[in-house]
Amino acid sequence: MIKLLNFNNIFFWIEKLINFISSIFFVFLLVALSFALIFSPPDYLQGDSVRIMYIHVPSAWISLASFTFIALLSILHFLFKIKNLKLVIKSIAPIGLMFTCLALVTGSIWGQPTWGTWWAWDARITSMSILALFYIVLILTYKFVSEEDKANKISSFIAILGLINIPIIKYSVEWWNTLHQPASIKLSGSSTIHSSMLTPLLLMFFVLLLYCALIFLMKYKTEIIRIKKKNLKRL
Amino acid sequence: MIQNFLLMNGYGLFVWSSFIITFIVCGLVYYKTYKTLKKYEREFAKEINELSAEQKKLVVENSKIASQVLSSYSKTI
Repeated sequence: MIKLLNFNNIFFWIEKLINFISSIFFVFLLVALSFALIFSPPDYLQGDSVRIMYIHVPSAWISLASFTFIALLSILHFLFKIKNLKLVIKSIAPIGLMFTCLALVTGSIWGQPTWGTWWAWDARITSMSILALFYIVLILTYKFVSEEDKANKISSFIAILGLINIPIIKYSVEWWNTLHQPASIKLSGSSTIHSSMLTPLLLMFFVLLLYCALIFLMKYKTEIIRIKKKNLKRL
Repeated sequence: MIQNFLLMNGYGLFVWSSFIITFIVCGLVYYKTYKTLKKYEREFAKEINELSAEQKKLVVENSKIASQVLSSYSKTI
């Protein structure tokens, strides 16, 4: 197991995975886009504007999942000081920020035809904006705090503090009166979304996950090379 | 039919702008990440090449990463 976690082995698998994901990505993208833009029906109430959901919802899911993952890794890193975890956190954070911003922007575009406004300071949108701020502070910490130990402590604190915001985002539509509609897809219990809309949604989610994996692997590979480059200078 | 597809019953502007913004952002992030990776690979390979023959041999023998980066770099030039 320890041998598998060796940078040399990880690097070898990263190369293979990048090539594999690149080879299947465009096929899945084409299929997902066909479902999202052509085959899925318009909503009986929202019409064709519902197609924005196929970008907006997976983006929001990824942003929440990324931050939860970062927070859990931060706790592990804080406890066990595994150097690899820091690299993973550094590689995931920009992806999470990107998808948080995309969820906010596409949500805003969806809000105009649905609610008649681009922006409202309601609970869901505000808590998502706060999540974006957490991501920004986390990224800036790694960028500007030069002392490694200090940067790790600050980033762990930010990630754990930000974790409190995740259930607030999730349940904001139930706890407060918001413009935002309640969740249509539930992990426990029955979902209220029809399969003709669920299929493109899950396909787009899968494609965006593939994209995330590709960016993550490239960023992670860059971080490994950065470390190796530093070590080379010590020779 | 194509016009209907593009207009999307009056929601075309909103739907297309959402998808286009997403693809532009994703494309730009991919491009920047790829460029940074290649820059680091290039610099790393260059630094290995600048080492003395003995040091270079030692690095390549001990690090699979160094040998992989070096081989992929030599393929691109």
